[in-house]
Amino acid sequence: MASSLRIRSAPRWTAVLLLWAALCCLFVPVVMVKQHDFKKCDQSGFCKRNRHLADTAAASSSWTAPYALDAASITFKDGQLSGTVLKTPKEGGEKVRLPLTVTFLESGVARVTLDEEKRQKGEIELRHGSQARKERYNEAGKWALVGGLKVAEGAALSEKAEKGYTKVFYGEAGKHQAVIRHEPFGIEFQRDGETQVKFNDRGLINVEHWRQKVEKPAEEKKEGEEEKKEEEKKEEEEEEKGEDESTWWEETFGGNTDSKPRGPESVSLDISFPGYEHVFGIPEHATRLSLKTTRGGDGNYDEPYRLYNADVFEYEMDSPMTLYGAIPFMQAHRKGSTVGVFWLNGAETWVDVTKAKTSANPLSLGTKGHTDTQTHWISESGLLDVFIFLGPTPADLTRQYGELTGYTAMPQSFAIAYHQCRWNYVTDEDVKDVDRKFDKFKIPYDVIWLDIEYTHEKKYFTWDPLTFVNPTKMHNHLDKRNRKLVAIIDPHIKNVGDYPVIDEIKKKELAVKNKEGGLFNGHCWPGDSMWVDCFNPETIKFWKALFKYDSFKGTAPNTFIWNDMNEPSVFNGPEITMPKDNLHHGNWEHRDVHNINGMTFHNATYQALLERKKGEIRRPFVLTRAFYSGSQRSSAMWTGDNLAEWSHLEASLPMVLNQGISGFPFAGADVGGFFGNPSSELLTRWYQAGIYYPFFRGHAHIDTRRREPYLAGSPYTEIITQALRLRYQLLPAWYTAFHEAHTTGAPIIRPNFWVHPDDEAGFAIDDQLYVGSTGLLAKPVTKEGADSVSVYLADGQPYYDYFDYTTYQGKGHHTVPAPLEKIPLLMQGGHIIPRRDRPRRSSGLMKFDPFTLVVALNKEGSANGTLYLDDGETFDYQQGAFIHRRFAFDGKRGILTSTNLAEGSRTAKLDAFLKSMARVRVEKIIVVGAPKSWKGKKEVVVMEEGAKESARRKKVAIEFFEGKGKQADWAVVRDPKVGIGRGWKVDFLG
Amino acid sequence: MGRSVSLITLLLLSTANAASEAPRPRGVGPDFAKYYKDSESFTCISNPSTKLDISRLNDDFCDCPDGSDEPGTSACSYISPLSPPQPDKPNDSLALPGYYCKNKGHIPSYIPFTNVNDGVCDYELCCDGSDEWDHVGGVKCEDRCAKMGKEWKKQDEARQKSLGAANRKRKELITEAGRLRKEVEDRIQTLQTEIKGHELKVDALMKSLAEIERQEKGKIVKAAGKGGKLGVLSGLAKARIEELTENLNRVRGERDASRGRIEELEAILKRFKEEYNPNFNDEGVKRAVKAWEDYAAQDRPGPDDARDRDLDEILKPDSESAIKWEEFVEEESDVDVLYKFEEYLPTPLRDWVDAKLRALRVTMIENGILAAPNTDAPESSAVTSARTQLTSAETTLNNDRNELKNHEEDLTKDYGPDEVFRALKGRCVEQDSGEYTYEHCFLEKTTQKPKKGGGHTGMGNFVRIEKVTVDEDLLADGKGLGSGERYALKYENGQHCWNGPSRSTQVILACAESDEIWKIVEEEKCVYRMEMGTPAVCGLKEGEQKGAPVHSEL
Repeated sequence: MASSLRIRSAPRWTAVLLLWAALCCLFVPVVMVKQHDFKKCDQSGFCKRNRHLADTAAASSSWTAPYALDAASITFKDGQLSGTVLKTPKEGGEKVRLPLTVTFLESGVARVTLDEEKRQKGEIELRHGSQARKERYNEAGKWALVGGLKVAEGAALSEKAEKGYTKVFYGEAGKHQAVIRHEPFGIEFQRDGETQVKFNDRGLINVEHWRQKVEKPAEEKKEGEEEKKEEEKKEEEEEEKGEDESTWWEETFGGNTDSKPRGPESVSLDISFPGYEHVFGIPEHATRLSLKTTRGGDGNYDEPYRLYNADVFEYEMDSPMTLYGAIPFMQAHRKGSTVGVFWLNGAETWVDVTKAKTSANPLSLGTKGHTDTQTHWISESGLLDVFIFLGPTPADLTRQYGELTGYTAMPQSFAIAYHQCRWNYVTDEDVKDVDRKFDKFKIPYDVIWLDIEYTHEKKYFTWDPLTFVNPTKMHNHLDKRNRKLVAIIDPHIKNVGDYPVIDEIKKKELAVKNKEGGLFNGHCWPGDSMWVDCFNPETIKFWKALFKYDSFKGTAPNTFIWNDMNEPSVFNGPEITMPKDNLHHGNWEHRDVHNINGMTFHNATYQALLERKKGEIRRPFVLTRAFYSGSQRSSAMWTGDNLAEWSHLEASLPMVLNQGISGFPFAGADVGGFFGNPSSELLTRWYQAGIYYPFFRGHAHIDTRRREPYLAGSPYTEIITQALRLRYQLLPAWYTAFHEAHTTGAPIIRPNFWVHPDDEAGFAIDDQLYVGSTGLLAKPVTKEGADSVSVYLADGQPYYDYFDYTTYQGKGHHTVPAPLEKIPLLMQGGHIIPRRDRPRRSSGLMKFDPFTLVVALNKEGSANGTLYLDDGETFDYQQGAFIHRRFAFDGKRGILTSTNLAEGSRTAKLDAFLKSMARVRVEKIIVVGAPKSWKGKKEVVVMEEGAKESARRKKVAIEFFEGKGKQADWAVVRDPKVGIGRGWKVDFLG
Repeated sequence: MGRSVSLITLLLLSTANAASEAPRPRGVGPDFAKYYKDSESFTCISNPSTKLDISRLNDDFCDCPDGSDEPGTSACSYISPLSPPQPDKPNDSLALPGYYCKNKGHIPSYIPFTNVNDGVCDYELCCDGSDEWDHVGGVKCEDRCAKMGKEWKKQDEARQKSLGAANRKRKELITEAGRLRKEVEDRIQTLQTEIKGHELKVDALMKSLAEIERQEKGKIVKAAGKGGKLGVLSGLAKARIEELTENLNRVRGERDASRGRIEELEAILKRFKEEYNPNFNDEGVKRAVKAWEDYAAQDRPGPDDARDRDLDEILKPDSESAIKWEEFVEEESDVDVLYKFEEYLPTPLRDWVDAKLRALRVTMIENGILAAPNTDAPESSAVTSARTQLTSAETTLNNDRNELKNHEEDLTKDYGPDEVFRALKGRCVEQDSGEYTYEHCFLEKTTQKPKKGGGHTGMGNFVRIEKVTVDEDLLADGKGLGSGERYALKYENGQHCWNGPSRSTQVILACAESDEIWKIVEEEKCVYRMEMGTPAVCGLKEGEQKGAPVHSEL
């Protein structure tokens, strides 16, 4: 009996022990991203197929792409060339007709679009009775493009084209030329007669045409190994003669099966940049600015860069793996030229990058060796639709790309100050307590954030009645110091009873649908959820109503919104996102719009925030995690869930720089690292780096220890406060940089190559940055225990230490001391930097503070700079209500002037704004690198426009300071009392 | 702005001439008035080498390296170790504590220069609104001192009254603590006397036991294993069955304990499955959940009660099915009778012979000539009884000694100032906060009780009394920690946190009329802080109740 008892309990014990073992695994230090959660190229059928094509082409010397432009079909009208490309299918039969358009735009940009006639006309059959649309997705432009599409009137066919080629001149003064080869189809884009970009140079073009699935006879019985072997052989043979169809009709990954009702439909193209050694762009990846190659080799990747918005948990450093957002815009750079391509496609996309080196020919003098960069773009579905930019400068590229996809929105001024976030501030009292502590420790901050826990059981648009008892009072409390609150609202809506939001979504079918056409259910924070489908105009209407103050009770004008999880993140979906065969508005498959989806969501939120109360129109602030080309028009982004590790701090700089040159500059990384607990040193260094993120937010995971700056303790708290105050001091310069981004597309923080496009030695530098056009050059410390950094100076100008005016001069690397309390920051000679020196509790309380101008003289003794200023809140600036000044110091004449850059005429709004700013003055002018001849000078003469005659030539004190050692001399003009919005002159020699 | 400043300076100067005592420039407090008497020039307070024309005083431009020329503006507010360094202002601290708000009708105070003319009326510090004298952005701050002062006075009176009551309560607590201590001391006295008595008793009992045992050695003992082979077997069987029964009992006990543990584990895993966070995409967690689901899905027979009942029956020594060993004990054989020759002797002789024989036998045993009686044999009842008595006396003695030790230790334990917490030990206070009710039992533990139901969570067990420095706002009603050094009770090793440490709580105490928890904060994951009022810490020399509490920030 006893023994039987033992036998019975034995299996239970084993199970329990196993469970314990499993549980113990949980306490092993957290592991990084799970590779097997996300696809590699050969797990993604279309990527594997197209990469295989590339391998086949490379292996054969006689490879030609079976695509030819039918010369007879070519027409040219109104800057647009049309024709038909004929594809000869491998399997034989009828040629596939691919309508081609090449559009030449006024801006000098060309656009090449290739469609598929059969799908276009709907002459195909869908499998599984699918309701999906039959066309290739042709609405990416509807979401991504907002302008720049005016066709070039000057574009013209060239008479002189050789046989088999068509040539088009376009661009300013016809400097650009597109040379279209008919067979095999290919295009070379030239500037000033030199080829810059080549399409299909390697013959990798591929448009997978629609075909009927040929049902193969049922497989024979498997009997033993031999037959299996035979089967394998058969497969090999098949691969050789035909194509591998195994991924054409169905694909399974991680237990989820994609039904692929339209069969294989990928598009791909090789794009080469002859003579270009560096390519940048295609965010978002945790990698260097200058993209590594992807076909293996020492230190390179062996996977292509992937663009498929995904919720990647604790992502890996130095990887081509996909992240939360996608911008398929790439630029190639060499000395004297920048060119680029924008691959307008919202589906999953992979990009291979390879470089071909040509060594110098020792026999022919003068021919230097050069490097060509070759890229291979592969998308799962949609049109082949590419824009080609021919530069020639980085600024031309960002401007032209911005004309197409829009410039970054002009943010409210608070949005560029410091944001304090944590998952989660747990009660309204907690929020107020953090707020009080910042004041007590005299640390400035503008915005406090609430993560998902503020909601009542994860139902967005509600407040937890036990923990956020009085949100209105909390908002009022914050508003007293002009502070804001950002609350999270995600696209997944809890599917429960007694929740009006989901009721209406169900009633009006405003959510994404599954492949059968019913509303899609998935799992996210709230448990069972549905995802709002913002491709649907009705959803946007509904969404806008939800944010009205009287609908989202407890919110106020100082509430702003954070859109997270909009990749979309679906916990139980394939690759933690939505099944590709889900259906969106208009019956487009999710596969077609995946990368665009997140943008439609934050766009909807932006529209909702524009006017929450009739007549109260304010600039919205929305933070998004997922993004696409065009996201910059309505949101800021952050680099997602990083780790509190030095490597993540380091990687944040190239990532944010890359956002800047890719048209979405309002970007930042979580300061301190989201997961894990940073050491005090790491936290301090991260703040010192974070002040250079255009979007500057401290954030932490719910399982981490609290780490608000005041908790760090001495000396860390003091050092962090200095960093924060430095950001606040320079807010006028930052705001001006944002305005520049808003009007010209220029990045807010700029990599070396962008500022010095001809300095070859600095092209790959991505660990130091320039702030706007201010000449401020920062090199954040990203190494533990460092007490100095090596700063690269690209030119021969003097660079002055921001804090003590120590001068560094000479092209090359310079060692700048960087003990913990010191932020390596230099001022490039030749710039005038506007600051506001008085520390305040929030940026809103600095609005009427006087300015300090720092004039850092260049070798020639001159300098200039700009300042942009508006009410920081409304859209009145669009009606001229702003101050835009240019400051210039002429070394020869010894005169500093302030002139107006605003071109518009006087409007009532402008007058009102100027009146409100009338008493805001310049209180101090610091001239760094002041000439020795000023020694002993006691006065300068100040002249201000509109001043009374008696005050026309006002004498103002100046004090000269002699620098010690490497320190530059400097002089301080004491309170010239000139209006910031006025024209004035300071005569240093008078 | 500049014009208005010089106008004000002029006004100040003109009034200065009129009055005998120069009025202080804007923002200067009475403590610093002496530096601002000269009507021609101003000398920077910490940098006497810098002498300025009087027109530079309060002209909204910072001239002095210590900021003392701008007592009434924010121009020098950037001079601070918290600001980015600047080469032309080597001093990095201000000579003045802040902008002085006269607050007529209330209590004057200093407000940080960073708050001067920033467009916000900081009534908490500057009820007269004078910090916004420049009306930037059109802000107008009315003078609220009369109203606030009156309110404050009212509250202050209430506070003082409450403070008096609190102090009385503390005295009561101290008296109570003293009484409790006296009780302990008395008990120690009693115990010490008792212990002495017990020690004597134990000594005596030990001696008597030794004597009895000595006597026993002389007894002739029946040899074990005599009788037939069956008898031997039955003896062995009995011993073995007893052993087996004992073991079975033990194994069964262990089984029951394991069953309990499995149930506990299953409950934990069930909760784990329900509450884990799927977004962490942690394969380890997912695998564990899957394994649990598989495990839970398996059909397993529950405990078989019938069989347990059978087992109980078997194990019961007096049950019907039990073997009656006594029935199998063999009668004495005739041979034995032969040995009992003593019984044929007259009693006095028998006693004598018996005594002599025993003595002889004992001597022989002691000298190793004769074998000692079989020790496996059961003790005689005399020995058992003596031993029992001794053991019981020893237990009593040990108990007393332990109690004494505990009490003595208790007297040296930290019970805070005047041992006041002795009176509060074990007293529990509850407070609602959000979704939980929190409970603090003084010097014992802290507990979190979910309002929605479910198990209580231990937030820590008492470890020590400590002192912490706090710097908090004191609300007008006096309910708050204020700033300075405070007593804190530390509770550690509470329930372990998922993905975190074991829960711990720091209970920081400040004076109040009654025991009440003011605030509970989870400072970081599973590290709690309670702010609590209690009369126990009133009147301690931190002086936290002095002056206007809300002004303690500066």
